[in-house]
Amino acid sequence: MYRAVKITKGSGGFGGPLIVKPEEGKDIILSVTGGGISPIAQKLADMTGGKVVDGFKTSVPDEQVLIAVVDCGGTARCGVYPKKRIYTVNLTPVGQSGPLAKYITEDIYVSGVTEKDIEYVDENEIIPTKEEVREKIDEIKKATAQKNQEKGNILTRIGKGASKVVGIFFSAGRESIDSVLKNVLPFMAFVSMLIGIILRSGIGDIIANTIAPFSGTLPGLLVISIICALPVLSPLLGPGAVIAQVVGVLVGVEIGKGNIPVQYALPALFAINPQVGADFIPVGLSLGEAEPETVEIGVPAILFSRLITGPLAVIIAFIFSIGLY
Amino acid sequence: MEFLARAAEWFIGLFQAGGENFMGLVTGILPTLIVLITFVNSIIKLVGEEKVQRIAQKATKNIFSRYVILPLLSVFFLTNPMCYTFGKFVDEKYKPAFYDAAVSFVHPITGLFPHANASELFVYYGIAEGIKQQGLSLGPIAVRYFIVGLIVIFIRGICTEIITAKMMEKKAVSEEGV
Repeated sequence: MYRAVKITKGSGGFGGPLIVKPEEGKDIILSVTGGGISPIAQKLADMTGGKVVDGFKTSVPDEQVLIAVVDCGGTARCGVYPKKRIYTVNLTPVGQSGPLAKYITEDIYVSGVTEKDIEYVDENEIIPTKEEVREKIDEIKKATAQKNQEKGNILTRIGKGASKVVGIFFSAGRESIDSVLKNVLPFMAFVSMLIGIILRSGIGDIIANTIAPFSGTLPGLLVISIICALPVLSPLLGPGAVIAQVVGVLVGVEIGKGNIPVQYALPALFAINPQVGADFIPVGLSLGEAEPETVEIGVPAILFSRLITGPLAVIIAFIFSIGLY
Repeated sequence: MEFLARAAEWFIGLFQAGGENFMGLVTGILPTLIVLITFVNSIIKLVGEEKVQRIAQKATKNIFSRYVILPLLSVFFLTNPMCYTFGKFVDEKYKPAFYDAAVSFVHPITGLFPHANASELFVYYGIAEGIKQQGLSLGPIAVRYFIVGLIVIFIRGICTEIITAKMMEKKAVSEEGV
């Protein structure tokens, strides 16, 4: 017995409210969160009568997925499912951000959701079906679709060609400004606040005393890379590369102050990052249209492979940094 | 009273330092970054995704192009996270290895081509800032980060391919046993 639920945004959240109801063949609640099935996904499944699936263990064909539950800090996962037009519930209160921000819209996405934000819907309330939404989109598409243009003479063709190229440059410019506003500047603000506090408050000295001895030697860097590559840790360290970025900034500050020798910069770049994308494996594989069986094997295969290639990367980078600076 | 005043000064000082740092980042990094991203974006649009796809399909054949050329093309032209869609061109058994190679390249590429992963720039930029403060140029490390990145993803691709193959074999055997 399927029931409809209403999911509203939590404090600081964005999007929604979404009203969803499973149907036969489209009743899977996909939990794409690190560390097992999220309680929210479980609750959604219990309430709607759908089936909960751990996206890290098994992969499901997109057309069977009703809702994807993610805990994305604002880079990739929060946009991937909306792009596929799958209802997306983000546990982190994140709005339209990341490279796929334009797909994150109120009709498909809701964030900052906690257990109290999910409630049953009176069956009599009108639920807008996917068809209605689709119709709306089609209408918009029709309105913007242009009529076939006639060929015209040479002059008009040159004119059109030139304006096409200029148009491309212009839209490239708009995209890069968009990306800087949405992705780069927020992180700069965050990094600057961090650096300001670290430099002025004296925390910097504590960090220097703990990190520098590690990051300033090859064995120390190898230890860092092995820790970050541990299969239990790596999926937790991955999201949005936030940890790698923060550590990158910390190491950068220490290099700037001269506590870590400059020639360790290159191996350090690899030492702090063997967990790259470890949180994203099932999603990344399903973007590459992998079969569910491949995902099941792919996740542990990659995590295990990182234990070998993580430290190896540090050694290669160390060799390549000979003669650098 | 004096203590309070000094505490307040100390507190605001934290953020003044942060503000100076922010100003440095904005004037030091953003102008070039914006123009560079615009340039690369235009090239990507002029080339068009279809052409890249055609080349990508050819690049799946041998092990070198599969874990070096294909990830490079996909990360450069499609950027993170859409680059993983090129996984559709490789055989099922190579998909995990391709993903591993592609995702491991989304940071090494940022030293030279920041457009490919604009929301995760500070893995590289964080460390690069320190080098800049030492008065050294960033060219050498950006190039080496890129090259070592390519070598690492090649090794990662091979390593993950072997492990995936072993695990698939094991699974097939255990299923036959049942």
